[in-house]
Amino acid sequence: MTKINEMTMNDEKQTAEFEARIARGEKIEAGDWMPEAYRKQLIRMISQHAHSEYIGMLPEGKWIPHAPSLRRKMILIAKVQDEAGHGQYLYHAAETLGATREEMMDAFLTGKAKYSSIFNYPSDTWADVGMIGWLVDGAAIRNQTMLAQCSYGPYSRAMVRICAEETFHHKQGKEMVLLYAHGTPKQREMVQDALNRYWWPSLMMLGPHDADSPNTPQLVRWGIKTKTNDEVRQEFIAETAPELLAAGLTIPDPELHFDEESGQWIHGPIDWDEFWQVVRGNGPCNAERLGARRQAHEDGAWVREALNGYAQKALST
Amino acid sequence: MDTQWPRWEVFKKDTAKKPYQAVGSVHAADADHALLNARNVFVRRPQAVSLWVAPAAVIFSRTAEQLEQGNPLPDVDQSVQQTYQIFRKATHRRSMTFMDHIGQVEAPSPAHALQAAIAQFPDPPALAWWIIPADQIISSGEDREMAAAWFDPAKTKTYKHQSAYGFVSARPQGRRRSGAKDE
Ligand SMILES: [Fe+2]
Ligand SMILES: [Fe+2]
Repeated sequence: MTKINEMTMNDEKQTAEFEARIARGEKIEAGDWMPEAYRKQLIRMISQHAHSEYIGMLPEGKWIPHAPSLRRKMILIAKVQDEAGHGQYLYHAAETLGATREEMMDAFLTGKAKYSSIFNYPSDTWADVGMIGWLVDGAAIRNQTMLAQCSYGPYSRAMVRICAEETFHHKQGKEMVLLYAHGTPKQREMVQDALNRYWWPSLMMLGPHDADSPNTPQLVRWGIKTKTNDEVRQEFIAETAPELLAAGLTIPDPELHFDEESGQWIHGPIDWDEFWQVVRGNGPCNAERLGARRQAHEDGAWVREALNGYAQKALST
Repeated sequence: MDTQWPRWEVFKKDTAKKPYQAVGSVHAADADHALLNARNVFVRRPQAVSLWVAPAAVIFSRTAEQLEQGNPLPDVDQSVQQTYQIFRKATHRRSMTFMDHIGQVEAPSPAHALQAAIAQFPDPPALAWWIIPADQIISSGEDREMAAAWFDPAKTKTYKHQSAYGFVSARPQGRRRSGAKDE
């Protein structure tokens, strides 16, 4: 009995010290004491984030052979390569918390782990590449800029590095969309169609409303998140909507308007049924995406085998 | 069973004038493998002239908080000295790097090296220290040709930089600088 009490006391004291460190704006580093729930939450978030970067290569990678110019092709190859790199930064950050690559990959490939809902939508035309850069990378930057403030050092540093690269993704997409928005009628039609399909999923990818995110207060207290989903979504709309409209495009939300009084953009209701359907695996491309990822993993078996052969030799000398 | 290859810390030097900075870690079977992974993961953008890797297991690390309890020195033969590289974290500011390399000392043990470093590098006060035996750090090499082969290809890919796109805006005051009219 005494022992348990002591342990709890000790735990409470350590937790209080830990929370005081976070309140002082200190970063928690690998190996520092942390509550088990903090470690678990971080592994869950960071690995899901890593999986999203990996899956995120697929909708755009499909268009590499069809890029309309060499410049666009080089840009797209670099962007897709960056996403693979972001996955690597993040898996490494999760590994500092004791998660292994095998566990994370396994959870990913068996469908146990989640990844961002947005990548389960199809990329039907070349214009989607531009729209994904502007909206999806744009929404991701909003989220990641917030996470760059996060209390866990390795995650925060990975985010700062990723944000610097995402800004390129965002700008190349925006540049492309604006070019087409001022281009031929066919080009305008293509970007409008892409916006029609990507606007709502981009709002959804920032996560459920605050009232439906029971974990948020704890995540905010521990400095893992520094803003709520709705705050980040509001920032994203405020940044993006005026520019889309200025480009002469129509946002597919008849209720969307700027409310002078509150200084906020008011949007129509988000179809959360659709969001949960996609999250639960029933989106338009869930099976295709996971199938492609599994195939890529299988196709890479010989590389892992070769590296293991090399490692066995290297580690035994 | 532990299937994990050892973890290596990666240090990247952006320019001749900048220090080596801890950028993150990779798993690898040996130093060559670690350097290769480090290059692939951390140098997809220009601004690198050299990389160091060191096995995470050989790093002697202390935070300011830990040092409040003192820095006990082991009883070792003072005449056997070796070189230690000293890394310091001096700020909680948001950053994409962790520790900066600030110099080296000769000492008979990592704790002695830390003691010497604290005396030699008092400003700014350290939040944390890493002490690494110099002979455990493997460098991508000072060789110019090697450095060019490893780090130059990224330099010409200016389209990877957000700055290549200027200020992109749909608003009337935004001047678009777009090179592509070939689509
Ligand atoms: Fe990314
Ligand atoms: Fe991206």
